[in-house]
Amino acid sequence: MSNLLRSELFKLRKDRSFRTLLAVLGVISLLYPLLIFYDDGTFSAAAVSVRDVFAGPAIGGDFYVLRMAPCVFAGFFISSEYAIGTMKTIGASGNGRLRIFWAKLTVFTLGTVVLAAVFPILSTGICAFVTGFRDMPGVGEASRLLGLTLLFAAAFASIMALCAIVLTDSGKTIGLLILFFILFDIIMTELAKKFAWIATLQEYSVLHLLDAIPAADAASGMTARLILVPVATYAAFACLGGYVFRKKEIK
Amino acid sequence: MSDYVLRTARLTKRYKQQLALRDVDLAIKKGAIYGFIGQNGAGKSTLIRVAAGLAYPTSGSLELFGQAGEERLTEARRRIGTIIEGPALYPQMNAADNLEAHRLLKGIPGKACVARMLALVGLQSAGRKKVKNFSLGMKQRLGLAIALLGDPEFLILDEPINGLDPMGVVEIRELLRRLNVEHGITILISSHILSELHLLATHYGIIHKGELLEQLTVEELNARCRQFLHVKTDDPAKAASVIETELGTTEFDVMPDGVVKLYKYMDVPGKVSTALVRAGLVIEEFMPMGEDLERYFMNRIGGADHE
Repeated sequence: MSNLLRSELFKLRKDRSFRTLLAVLGVISLLYPLLIFYDDGTFSAAAVSVRDVFAGPAIGGDFYVLRMAPCVFAGFFISSEYAIGTMKTIGASGNGRLRIFWAKLTVFTLGTVVLAAVFPILSTGICAFVTGFRDMPGVGEASRLLGLTLLFAAAFASIMALCAIVLTDSGKTIGLLILFFILFDIIMTELAKKFAWIATLQEYSVLHLLDAIPAADAASGMTARLILVPVATYAAFACLGGYVFRKKEIK
Repeated sequence: MSDYVLRTARLTKRYKQQLALRDVDLAIKKGAIYGFIGQNGAGKSTLIRVAAGLAYPTSGSLELFGQAGEERLTEARRRIGTIIEGPALYPQMNAADNLEAHRLLKGIPGKACVARMLALVGLQSAGRKKVKNFSLGMKQRLGLAIALLGDPEFLILDEPINGLDPMGVVEIRELLRRLNVEHGITILISSHILSELHLLATHYGIIHKGELLEQLTVEELNARCRQFLHVKTDDPAKAASVIETELGTTEFDVMPDGVVKLYKYMDVPGKVSTALVRAGLVIEEFMPMGEDLERYFMNRIGGADHE
């Protein structure tokens, strides 16, 4: 499988959508702190707490990034392989389908995690620099918040990879995933009013639990849930994706 | 050790209501250049896709290098190189990066093969130019270079000369021939350019509406495509009798439309016409003719309405 991983990593390094998304997120991350410091027509870093910025707008803003950017990345990194025909070469290369999918998923997950890390790290870093590192978040708090966010990014990646492998078309993949990730909670909330089991499903879904990350403290049972649910989601979608890709005919 | 690189037995592939392959028994011997001929939708690509592991047969069996079963077939596919329905390339990368991605995919050690393959297909000067800016001919060459990575024993090439200029066609033909003769690479090649196939292939398979109509060697094809006198008279049965008794040969065929194909007396057609006229026959058509692969294929799949 190492050959597949190396090949996928090489493609990730060369992937234009990945590079573009990184660049866009980088620019937004650099500009976003300016909005925080801009108050009443002047720029001031006086009342800004880096800890609050990290736990609030940096991590919270990243949730939007998580719901959007990897959808575009999935379309170009996975689905487009069907359109340009390279999936046929990969499928005929003498590597098993499960290995092919898991290698692709692994590298796609890595790419998604990198995309998810850019905004909170860079924007918080800029804030810290401008404020002179005032009221910094503790290492434990920062790593818990960031770690959970990246864990959720991985779980999202597994869902997106499954969709991308099924749909085979970049445009459809991007469109459907964005709609799904934006509308999931709204639709589930409406459905939960009629079916009790959907309420439970929603409660334990990564898309719903994502918003609980900033509020959860280490002592509560919620943290365990915030770890177990994305791990289970990743495992389930990795297996499901592998099964689907194994059965799928590559056109 | 099997003498066959690819062999199928009663291979059938059904897509919902449509039967794409029906009981196909195809056999490609080691060292052959197998020209796979068929119209669009005849089942060529389906069979190639099944052989490459991209589609699964509905029934029947498939062997690659004598190996059968999913795991062994996957293993055997490491020994093949493919171009399926056009070259598969990353448009944002240059030629060398495309080869590098596939080199890593195939787990080939050392980067030296990348430059070697680029030189082999004449793309060593492509440099940093992105593949999206390549001509179709350049893409075909790069696709071939990718297929040749890892020194495969069996090449599956679906329309590899599409888009090439006349010089490119000749170069690729010579390259394939050299790979076959010098390196013993078996080649399955499908192409619509039958005249080109005729210059290259050692074996042929004709597929039509999912059925493999015929497999034949180049010698058999040449024998069947040989020159003949096309003779049409008002009484085909009597003409056949005259040819047999007066000219003393049985090397002729009477076709369903009454035409007699006479494979002898090509150098003295006057003898034939004289004998027929003496027997009181009215000659309606009389001319020397010969088939090429194209005409043979047309006749084999059902003739005139395809012309």
